[in-house]
Amino acid sequence: MIEFQEIWNPLLIGPFLWLAGIADMACVAYVLLRQAKVDNLKAFSWVLFISIVAALAFVVADLSRPWNLVNALMTSFFTGQFGLFRSWMAVGIVLLSVATLLLFLVALRHTVNIKMLNAVVDSGWFGVLLAVVGLLVAVYSGFLIAATHGIPFWNTPLLPVLWLISSTIGAVALTELMIHRDDIIRFTVRASAAAEVVELVAVLALVNLAMYSGTTAARTSGWALVYGPLAPAFWGGVVVIGSLIPLAIGLVNWRRVISKSLVAAAAILALIGALMLRIVVLQAGVFEPVV
Amino acid sequence: MTRLAHLWDQSRCIACGACIAACNAANYNSTGRENKKWRWLASNIKRVEILTGPRPTLYLIQCQHCDNPPCVLVCPTGASHKDVDGLVKIKKELCIGCKYCMVACPYNARWLDEETGLPRKCMGDECLSRVKAGLDPVCVAVCPAGARAFGDIDDPNSEISRRLAKSRYVRLLKNKDTEPKYFVVVGP
Repeated sequence: MIEFQEIWNPLLIGPFLWLAGIADMACVAYVLLRQAKVDNLKAFSWVLFISIVAALAFVVADLSRPWNLVNALMTSFFTGQFGLFRSWMAVGIVLLSVATLLLFLVALRHTVNIKMLNAVVDSGWFGVLLAVVGLLVAVYSGFLIAATHGIPFWNTPLLPVLWLISSTIGAVALTELMIHRDDIIRFTVRASAAAEVVELVAVLALVNLAMYSGTTAARTSGWALVYGPLAPAFWGGVVVIGSLIPLAIGLVNWRRVISKSLVAAAAILALIGALMLRIVVLQAGVFEPVV
Repeated sequence: MTRLAHLWDQSRCIACGACIAACNAANYNSTGRENKKWRWLASNIKRVEILTGPRPTLYLIQCQHCDNPPCVLVCPTGASHKDVDGLVKIKKELCIGCKYCMVACPYNARWLDEETGLPRKCMGDECLSRVKAGLDPVCVAVCPAGARAFGDIDDPNSEISRRLAKSRYVRLLKNKDTEPKYFVVVGP
């Protein structure tokens, strides 16, 4: 029997990474949509804000001392012990706080009409800041997992790259579901199909590298995903539902969007696949035997 | 500089479990509640049996008090820190329970105390106060076979230094570059 890690709950940290992933790359999508003069982004902006708040709720739910969160962070910060230049978790706390604030301003801008707020959110520097913070959150969430020394399957440079690709797919899927302008849909269908191909390669590289890795734990994780107890979730949820079917739909609609309903279905499946990917990767973590 | 370290002599150990029970008694008031992560009792020492090979082998695994500890590196608040005496300790008031230290430790040496939410590890509160008072940790004090030693490896006259000087020893997962200070003596 494989002893999977039971420290981080995949059903809490998985959705955290997924929701943060949707919100972060969708920040970039929001800026691009503004550039493309898409109007009525109210619902889109609220989905981003709700996503990041829900992400925070999931990660706090996995803490074993949530009651000490505020006090510990304040004490750590004001006594100079906060690990901003040492720990990816600390980097994430800062980035997620900034992203939450920025997304709140964006949602507010599309809900109430305050002149000063409109000017700030519509300015070029705000767009750049939002896109950069979104990109950094996407990258951070990969490094957070990859920096774990104890679990060789996660401890790979491929993981931040995979997370970035998967978050991009999530953002594109969200755009497909919420923005119905023809030229945007044409672009997102092609972008998501291309990203699905890259993600498929990255996912297969991750498990392949693990299976041929020098460490027993990484090989066990890779085996569990490809042949073992996690294989149905990996092949069915991540590869077929999350990648192959959306890719096939993308290719069908490549030249001309035949059906918007099909595009929406592909987007929903891609989002499910992105969630499954995070859950199975977290679940597959195994510690290296000490002896 | 002081670098406190543990020594466990595998060749002398009689596997009586006194160190494990003493850790539970001294640091966790002999509680019967389960350490679910290790499926073990509330103790900072884990017994690992290797049943493959020509004969069964026993290892006692605990915090290695690494010179280069990954748990300290990843801790966002500085709760996990390396003290001036070389031991890796936890400041309870700074711990948020993110468990990053637990997944970062290649030795899987931390377990979650569900009552306090703290990631527990060697050394517990009682052992730390004993060490502060110049005494050995309880696991060392109770060992009937003299299989354990504790002290400053930078002091050539300490018991641990003298035993290391005349023994063959290994350090676990050396390839992880954590510079562990838990020495497993395998023979004279």
